[in-house]
Amino acid sequence: MIKVENLTKVYNSNILAVDSVSFEIPKGKIACIIGTSGCGKTTTLKMLNRLIEPSSGKIWINERECHEMDAVKWRRSIGYVIQKAGLLPHMTVRENIELLSKIMKRTKKERNSKSNQLMEMIDLDPQEFASRYPIELSGGQQQRVGIARALMEDPPVLLMDEPFGALDPITRNTMHDEVLRLNSKLGKTFVIVTHDMEEAFKLGDEVLLMDNGSIIQKGTKEDFLSHPKNEFVQSFVSQQLNKDL
Amino acid sequence: MRLLIHIVFLMFIFTFTSHATSMREPIKIGSKVFSEALILGEMMAIILEKKLDQPVIRRLNLGGTKIVFDALINEDIDLYPEYTGTGYVFILKQASVIQDPEVIYNKVKKDYYEKYKVLWSPPIGFNNSYALVVRGDDPHFQEIQTLSQLPKDLSKFNFTAAHEYMERTDGYNAFKKFYQLQFDPDNVIGMDAGLMYGALKEEQVDMIMAYATDGRIEAYNLKAIKDDQNFFPPYWAAWNYKEKTLNKFPALKEAVEIFHNLITEKEMISMNAAVDEYKRSPRDVANDFLIKKGIIKGVLSNKKVDSSFINFAYKKRKYLLKITKDHIKLSALSLFLAILISLPTGIILTRYQKLSGPVFGVINTIQTIPSLALLGLLIPITGIGFTPALIALFLYSLLPLIRNTYAGIQGVDKNYIEASRGLGLTSFQILKTVEIPLALPVILAGVRTSSVIVIGTATLAALVGAGGLGEPIFRGVATINSQLIILGAIPSALLAIFVDKLLALTESRLISKGLQLKSKH
Repeated sequence: MIKVENLTKVYNSNILAVDSVSFEIPKGKIACIIGTSGCGKTTTLKMLNRLIEPSSGKIWINERECHEMDAVKWRRSIGYVIQKAGLLPHMTVRENIELLSKIMKRTKKERNSKSNQLMEMIDLDPQEFASRYPIELSGGQQQRVGIARALMEDPPVLLMDEPFGALDPITRNTMHDEVLRLNSKLGKTFVIVTHDMEEAFKLGDEVLLMDNGSIIQKGTKEDFLSHPKNEFVQSFVSQQLNKDL
Repeated sequence: MRLLIHIVFLMFIFTFTSHATSMREPIKIGSKVFSEALILGEMMAIILEKKLDQPVIRRLNLGGTKIVFDALINEDIDLYPEYTGTGYVFILKQASVIQDPEVIYNKVKKDYYEKYKVLWSPPIGFNNSYALVVRGDDPHFQEIQTLSQLPKDLSKFNFTAAHEYMERTDGYNAFKKFYQLQFDPDNVIGMDAGLMYGALKEEQVDMIMAYATDGRIEAYNLKAIKDDQNFFPPYWAAWNYKEKTLNKFPALKEAVEIFHNLITEKEMISMNAAVDEYKRSPRDVANDFLIKKGIIKGVLSNKKVDSSFINFAYKKRKYLLKITKDHIKLSALSLFLAILISLPTGIILTRYQKLSGPVFGVINTIQTIPSLALLGLLIPITGIGFTPALIALFLYSLLPLIRNTYAGIQGVDKNYIEASRGLGLTSFQILKTVEIPLALPVILAGVRTSSVIVIGTATLAALVGAGGLGEPIFRGVATINSQLIILGAIPSALLAIFVDKLLALTESRLISKGLQLKSKH
C-alpha cells in the first residue's frame, strides 16, 4: 500500500512543480502516472523515493511515513527502475542485480541464490547471462535485468520511470505482459510513469493524469473514456489513442 | 596495484640505505657544466683521492653559476672552481671598471669573505676571459685584428653568446656600449655555451662570445679578435670554499697549494681540446696531466676513443645502470606522491565545483613555468640534489593527474548515478562502486601522460645534481660528445616507452571488461 497526502514540490521558492498531490494505491495494484512533459509526473515519482525531497506533504508505505527514516534507508525499501535500465556498464548482469545486496553485506550464497531465482523469473538463464556485461544484452534484456535488480531486496513497492520508452514496439508489448505477470505473481505495488496512454490503460489498475503539477483525473480506462472530467482530459486521451493507431 | 606498491616500497628502502655513510667524511666537489670546469673538478678529485688519500664525492655537472654558488652556500658542495671576473660581476654584482687581474682577485677575495665567509684559493694559473671569435676564413674579418677595428654597424651579422652572458652586467650590453657596436636584436641569440662553437664553424652564426681557453678556437680554426682596449675583465680561475671546510679538511689546504699556478693558458686550451675535439673523458685528461706534471704516479691513458657506440656503452655499463636506477627512483617516487595527492584532489574538486577554477588556475600556472626556471626557484629553498628534482617533477605531474581525475568523474553519465542513488547507495558507495570504476579509463590515461612527462623531464634533474639519465646528456652537450648524449637519451626514451606500454597493459587489467567491449549494435 502506498499513500500520498498533499505532496508538493516548490523550486526556488516560487516555481510550483508539483501542487498538493494526494492518492492511494492499494497493495498489489499498479498505478500509472501519465501526462505531457513538464507536468510533474517524474518529480512526483522521484519524491516517492526521495531522490527529490518534497517541499511538503506526506508519504506512507505500509503504514510507515517517509520522514521516520533517513533517505538512504527509505530508498532501499523501494525498487527503482529507470529508462534504459541504468545498468552499470562495468558490472556483469549478476553484479548489477546483486549490487544493493552486496552493499548490505548479504552473504555470497544468499545473494547468488536470490539473483538466480530472479534471473529465472525474468526469463534470463543464469548459466548463460549471469557473467555477461550490459553491452552484450538487447534493450529488452537490459530492462529485465533492471527490474530484477530493483527486486533484489524484496521491496514492497516498485517505481518505474518511463521504463519502456526506449524499446521497440514488439519488445515493449512483451515487457508489458511481463510486468503484469510479475505484479500478479509478487503482489507488490507498482507505480509507473509513462507518456503513453495505451501503456497506461493496459498496465494501470488506476491511471493518474497530471497536468501543471496537479492530478486532473484518476480512474480506470472506462472512467477516462466514458466520463472525462473536462475538455483537456478528453482531448489528451483522444489525441494519445489516435496517435497510436 | 599490489606490484606497484611493492616497487615503491623497495624504492624507499633504496633511498635510505644508499645514504649510508662511508668511513671518512668525503669532500663534495662541484663544478659547472662545461669541459674546463669538469676537467678541473676531476683534477681536484684525483689529487685528493690518489695523492692525499681523501675520499671525495663528485657533484660535477651542476647547471650554472647561480646553481653551483647556491649549492656552495647551502653546503651541498664543499668547493668548486670559479673565475674572478664571474665572482666580481655575477655574484658581487659590481659594474666592471677594474681591469687589473691582481686588483680584482684581491677585491673578490675580500668581499667574498666578508659577505659569505667563502675563501678564494691561490690562482690556478690561467686566465679564461671572454673573446669575440669569428671564423678564421670569414672574408669580412680578414683585415681585422682588434675590436677597435670592427665596423660599428654589425647588424647584418648573427651574434651568439651563452645565456648567462646576455644577463651579466659586464656582458652583452656593456660590451656593445664600450666598443660602440650596433647589432640587430633579431640576429642576437642566447645559446648553450657548448653548442655555439659548432654553430660558428657550421656558419649558422657569424660571431660568438667565446671563452678564451676553449680548445675549439684552435681546433675549428677560429679567430679571436684582440680586446685592445682591455674591456673584458680578467677571469683567473681559482677554487671557492668556505672557511670552515678548509679547517675541517687538511687535505684541501694541500690540494689548493698544489693547484697554485699549476695550469697555463696553453695547457688549459689543449686539455679542453682533448675533451671537446678528441672526445677523451675529462677524467682521463685530468689524470694524464697530473702524471705528466709528476704530481701523481701512473700510466698515461692516452687511449684512442673507441668510435663504436656499443663498446662505449658496454664500458659504461655500471655507470649506465646506476644513473638508470637513479632516474627510475626519482621518477617513480615523484609520480607516486603525485598520484597520492591528485586522486583525492580531483575527486574533492568534483564535489566542490567552486574550488575547481582557482585550483586549476594554480596548477596550470605551475605547468607553464619552464622546468629549469622552476628548479632554479627551488634551489635557494631546498638546496641541490634529489629534493628539488623530486618537488619539480611532482608539481609537473599534478596537472594531467588532477585534470583527468576531475574530468573522468565529471564525465560519468548522470543516469548511472541516479539509478544507484535510487537503489539506496550512499554518496560514498556511489563514488567507490560507480564513479571511480567508470572514470578509471580517463584517470589511467592521466597517469600515463604524467609518467611520460616525468621520465622525460627527469633528465633535467642532472642540472641540479640529482643524477639520472640527464647526466650524460648534459655532459655530452657540454663536451660535444654525441656518444654521451646517446648514452642518456636512448635509455630515457626506452624507459618512457616501456613504462607507457606497461601502463597500457595494467589498464587492460584494471579496467572492467564491460567498458572495453564494443557495442554489438
